[in-house]
Amino acid sequence: MSEYTKPLPKPTATSRPFWEAAKAHRLQLQQCGGCQAFIYYPRDRCPHCLSDELQWKPVSGRGRVYSYTVVRRAATRSFADKPYVLAIVELEEGPRMTTNIEAPPEMVKVGMPVTVCFDDVTPEHTLVKFKPA
Amino acid sequence: MGALTDKYCIVGVGETPHMRPSNRTTLSMACEAVSKAMADAGLKPSDIDGMTSYQAGDSTTSAHVATSLGIRLNYCLDILGGGSSTEALVAHAIGLLEAGYAKVIVCFRSMNGRSGRRMGGQVPGGPIPVATAEGDNQFNMGWGWTTPAQRFGMSAMRYLHDTGCTTRAFAEIAVAHRYHASLNPKARLRTPITIEDHQRSRWVVKPFRLLDCCQETDVSAAIIVTSRERAYDLRHPPVFIKGGYARTMTENPGWNYSRPVLHYVAGNYGWKRAFGMAGISHSDVDFISCYDAFTFTTLIQLEANGFCRPGEAGEFVKGGRLQIDHELPSNLSGGHLSEGYTHGIQMVIENVRQLRHRADDACPGWAEGKHTYDRQAGCRQLKRARICCGMAWGYENMASCLVLGGVMS
Repeated sequence: MSEYTKPLPKPTATSRPFWEAAKAHRLQLQQCGGCQAFIYYPRDRCPHCLSDELQWKPVSGRGRVYSYTVVRRAATRSFADKPYVLAIVELEEGPRMTTNIEAPPEMVKVGMPVTVCFDDVTPEHTLVKFKPA
Repeated sequence: MGALTDKYCIVGVGETPHMRPSNRTTLSMACEAVSKAMADAGLKPSDIDGMTSYQAGDSTTSAHVATSLGIRLNYCLDILGGGSSTEALVAHAIGLLEAGYAKVIVCFRSMNGRSGRRMGGQVPGGPIPVATAEGDNQFNMGWGWTTPAQRFGMSAMRYLHDTGCTTRAFAEIAVAHRYHASLNPKARLRTPITIEDHQRSRWVVKPFRLLDCCQETDVSAAIIVTSRERAYDLRHPPVFIKGGYARTMTENPGWNYSRPVLHYVAGNYGWKRAFGMAGISHSDVDFISCYDAFTFTTLIQLEANGFCRPGEAGEFVKGGRLQIDHELPSNLSGGHLSEGYTHGIQMVIENVRQLRHRADDACPGWAEGKHTYDRQAGCRQLKRARICCGMAWGYENMASCLVLGGVMS
């Protein structure tokens, strides 16, 4: 296997539980104890009610493609190996996530049901991605 | 009308050529742009006492430029900014003038936007710039989300889905702005294009084709703001600052996460303030500028700023409405799509020239100081140019606007 050259996430104290769960192939997000909303990306206060009572909870991993682009002209050499689908997936629980759809670009549509999958890009790093449900 | 409306003016504009590559420093280019703006206004270095700039960690500073040109500043500030910063810095300049911090203020942008750091910070085929995605970037960069095309393409794709608009609407904008560039000797791309040319051009980041994307260039540009009283002594008819905004919205905390409607952008919340301040309605606007890093960023701002209703911009731009001699001419220099990419400031510069009735075109009459309005002969001066609405875009949740008026307004 050739060396992985794409940027790797650097967790913070706040985001580490998300990345550690991903490494164990689980999707978990913060849920607000004040207003019950699930939120993403990880942070220290709920963006809806400003409560800091945030708890990590497993989520379904099911969602739909809210929007997407097909990148045919990559910005860097490390992404130039093939066209790829960047997407915003809206989870059943509400939050949206930036991700890739693991499917042929011509197959992807707005509104398409998708389910989570995990890409172990290095022994230490796992990216949360989605595939057609 | 607001108490400050028409009290302050833009009196000088200047820019370097659009180069690729410049083989120059951002300092060298900024000195040229600021010198040209001073000459345009009829001002000397000793007349300037305020300077501001915006940049993206890719440029020189006001202090360096002022020192290089023998200018002593009573006020200087450089901000991290983007496509909506010029209009925000004009509003900021009004505050400085009103408070007495400075009397004549230069605002500039200087960037090697093609040969140096490109938007997104990267070079196709070049070295891999970062190995780690830190801070907010840990939630987008790893999946290959780094550039404006990828980001705004996401809003554009959802817009097409929600409204039934097609990419032929994007083409209308590319065609209009290219036609204007064909009348601008400074523009990089001057060959007119058709809607079919646009539809045939290759995908870059779907739904954007090559002809949806701006012309990245190495360039510097500058404007000068001062009081009405000072303006009357200077070289050109003053261009009056009538109103504006520099607006954000709450729904987007960073990137495109969890906003109710991705393409409901910040301009929606700003335009009533700007128009109220200026004391105008949409029907008073003779022409517009509309930030066109991509065709879509022009399209979406037309409805965000109330020129048409949400979802109707595709219909609105049909049939060449944005072209010169039509209902609402847009980006008369050719804009970012065809003149070259300045990160926003050239829109204001072109609007100033049009409002002065002194477009720097190749019109045969202009050599003797009189425009012919003959487009075949290369004239791009509008016949009626009294009120202009300039709409600028940082990203979906950040926008600005600057309503300007000529002496006849």
